[in-house]
Amino acid sequence: MSLEQLLEKTYGFDSFRPGQKEVITAVMDGRNVLALLPTGMGKSMCYQLPGHMLPGSVLIVSPLLSLMLDQVSQLKKMGEKSVVALNSFLKPEEKEAVLRKAGDYKFIFVSPEMLAQPFVISRLKRIRISLLVADEAHCISQWGFDFRPDYLRISEVMAELGSPQVLALTATATKKVQQDILHYLSLEEPNIYVHPMDRRNIAYDVKRFDTREGKLEWLKDFTAHYAGRGIVYAGTRKKAEELSAVLRQNGVRAVFYHGGMEQLDRVFIQQQFQNGETDWVCSTSAFGMGVHVPDIRHVIHFQIPTSIEEFVQEVGRAGRDGQPSLSTLLVSPGDEALMNALLADELPTRFEAEAVLNSGGDRALVSDGVVRETSFRVLKYWLSRMPLDKTMQRMENLLQEKMNRAARMSGFPASDGCLRSYIAETFDQEITDRPSNCCVNCGLDYSMYPVRKEGEQHSGSGGWQERLGRILP
Amino acid sequence: MSFNELILSIMDRLDGQRTVSAPFHVLKGKKSGQTIQDIGYFGLHPFFGVISDLQKGTYDEAVTQLCEAGLIEQADGPIKLTEKGRNRKKVPVRLDGWTFQGRERLFFARLSLAVQTFSHVRAGNPVFDPAQTRTDIQFWVKDYLRKMNFSAPESYAAFRSQLTESLMLADCPDRSKTILVDRLSGIGIGGLTWRQISAEYGISEMDAKIEATAALHAWLAVLREEGFPMLIPFLEGVLRHSPLTDSTKRTLRLYKEGLSVDEIAAVRKLKRSTIEDHFVELAMNDPAFDFTSFMSREAYERVNDISKSSGSKKLRDIKEQLPELSYFQIRLALSAGGEQP
Ligand SMILES: Nc1ncnc2c1ncn2[C@@H]1O[C@H](COP(=O)(O)OP(=O)(O)OP(=O)(O)O)[C@@H](O)[C@H]1O
Ligand SMILES: [Mg+2]
Ligand SMILES: [Zn+2]
Repeated sequence: MSLEQLLEKTYGFDSFRPGQKEVITAVMDGRNVLALLPTGMGKSMCYQLPGHMLPGSVLIVSPLLSLMLDQVSQLKKMGEKSVVALNSFLKPEEKEAVLRKAGDYKFIFVSPEMLAQPFVISRLKRIRISLLVADEAHCISQWGFDFRPDYLRISEVMAELGSPQVLALTATATKKVQQDILHYLSLEEPNIYVHPMDRRNIAYDVKRFDTREGKLEWLKDFTAHYAGRGIVYAGTRKKAEELSAVLRQNGVRAVFYHGGMEQLDRVFIQQQFQNGETDWVCSTSAFGMGVHVPDIRHVIHFQIPTSIEEFVQEVGRAGRDGQPSLSTLLVSPGDEALMNALLADELPTRFEAEAVLNSGGDRALVSDGVVRETSFRVLKYWLSRMPLDKTMQRMENLLQEKMNRAARMSGFPASDGCLRSYIAETFDQEITDRPSNCCVNCGLDYSMYPVRKEGEQHSGSGGWQERLGRILP
Repeated sequence: MSFNELILSIMDRLDGQRTVSAPFHVLKGKKSGQTIQDIGYFGLHPFFGVISDLQKGTYDEAVTQLCEAGLIEQADGPIKLTEKGRNRKKVPVRLDGWTFQGRERLFFARLSLAVQTFSHVRAGNPVFDPAQTRTDIQFWVKDYLRKMNFSAPESYAAFRSQLTESLMLADCPDRSKTILVDRLSGIGIGGLTWRQISAEYGISEMDAKIEATAALHAWLAVLREEGFPMLIPFLEGVLRHSPLTDSTKRTLRLYKEGLSVDEIAAVRKLKRSTIEDHFVELAMNDPAFDFTSFMSREAYERVNDISKSSGSKKLRDIKEQLPELSYFQIRLALSAGGEQP
């Protein structure tokens, strides 16, 4: 059976997306692979299909719990039954039960913390792991925008697991980050597949304002004129709430979303967005993962992100259906200062480092609010490997690196050249063939984007029986 | 019933007898001897643990508001209702916290996933993102649906009509039911966030949550009494057979084996006072609790007489009149004589 036939038979897709076949072929040739594929292009397929051909299990390391849960439910939705997730949510007896029959599962998702547990490793050692997948592999690099020290555990346990074949997947990795991935996963004779990361159907716009109020007025007009669906990245939780309130007052269907909401409320917002019950979600960067809406037309950044990588990930949520979509970045004086302050503020402090050191890495520091979650993660890792002063030196370097990335981001709205090329260059790529609707500097055709139809306000509450009757007709 | 009314209802029952912070522990469902014992003395069963995630700051704010509204005299120290507070229009309490102790949430989580599944399956679209991410809930619902032969149209019809009928019978305002149903989702219909509900009805998020809890308690009371076969399985583990805490159950076991209070304390390596708390809890929960091995029937009656005639449940007041009894005996007598849950 050809790969195409297997794809059709297993998942019902009639063709591969660009890059998928190349990566799958390399994996099936037994090579270690580092694959860079654009956001939303179907990276998961690169291990899903091999999973059906390889004899043993596929072990997938996933950096975030929410991402993992989402991947598992997506796989199940595609009809995959032999899937399991190992994470800190499981009760000990559930974990034990899963591990006892781990070899029966084709796809085993695991969080990096789990890999630190000797018991888990000892059980995983007993089964045949045909392929180890590092998803969002840029997280392994301290130069990546989303460094997760826990990820380095992968390299520590690889030998114990019998050095299985590795597939590292990411959408956003500069040359430097790629080097780190190869180094930490000790990928020998790797096959590196880099797909042009440009998303041709997304055009880039930048709007400059003298004041923050200017941004708000523009946003009101824009959302009143153009149809959704769209995401507005607001920067902070408070801003996300504020923006959604302003849009609602203006008669636009908008909601907010951020990590401070309870789990079920977050699910409800995703449902509303997916169902088309709302047109705009104003959110922090927390929104995106687990949202499978192919026809997002607009991604608007009300506040400039701190790196091109982050920007690309967020913009990449638009236009997964291949239709024209628009990224709009709003800038006003003072944004940059705010961004730099934010970065400096994010950095682990000496005070936090001392607290972690003195407590021997007690997690209670986080719940007691002495040390911040991310600081804790990073500090605990480095302090267990080097003395305090060296660690603080590292933090300094880290800040410098972050500042450099932020400066690269700031250069984006300031650039008068092609913005698409600007992004590509960040990843050492080139745009050879610009689409006709490219960016604000090359020329933009706004008529590509559907305008809003009037009407369709929400139907109002007709009481509980009416609503229940709609849910269960 | 709003959050402030809720607090005031508890304060009313504790007027002059406890400090302003006592209702906070009751609402949070604190499992300490003092709180558990107050539940019995003052008949606070409806309120126990109905807001288990209550923040102290939120509570204090509400108390300040009650003070400013002239319903209570002071925001700290002993509870003192004003004339206005005592004569306020009283809202019926429809909560039953002691019986459910937060497990109504388990009921609703299962139910909402079942509703979501039925909604999708009926539309011929059985693949969807479950609103409940907890795997234990998912397993439970999967199991339930299988047993109920969920893809059969008759099952759908029965589920749907029993859901509507039972909720109709629930003794609570329609708005509370609407809030509850707003938290359900189905195909093409997303649930509403607390913030959206609060905006829709012009009430605070906290008030909306309390209404939802009250609606759940009222609904569960219906399901418990009337036979709704499709819904009865949802009560599994929601109706606890014994409302005792686990630690108290252990103490009870040893007591039945014939150990004394001191012996139990020694075996369990706990303080005597802790074991005493367990007996107070036992006395409060078991109408047939035999207190005669701790005190005479006569002593028991005297404690309760004094309490009734003086209208005070303050231990010190009673102790002054009955110096020969220990505090433990007085507490035990009050609990055994108090209102039963
Ligand atoms: N060959 C294909 N044909 C059609 N659809 C596909 C194909 N491969 C994958 N998809 C679909 O594309 C969607 C996105 O896939 P996936 O989540 O793997 O993308 P991703 O590259 O990992 O995205 P992200 O950048 O968000 O991590 C999924 O819904 C998947 O089913
Ligand atoms: Mg992915
Ligand atoms: Zn361009």
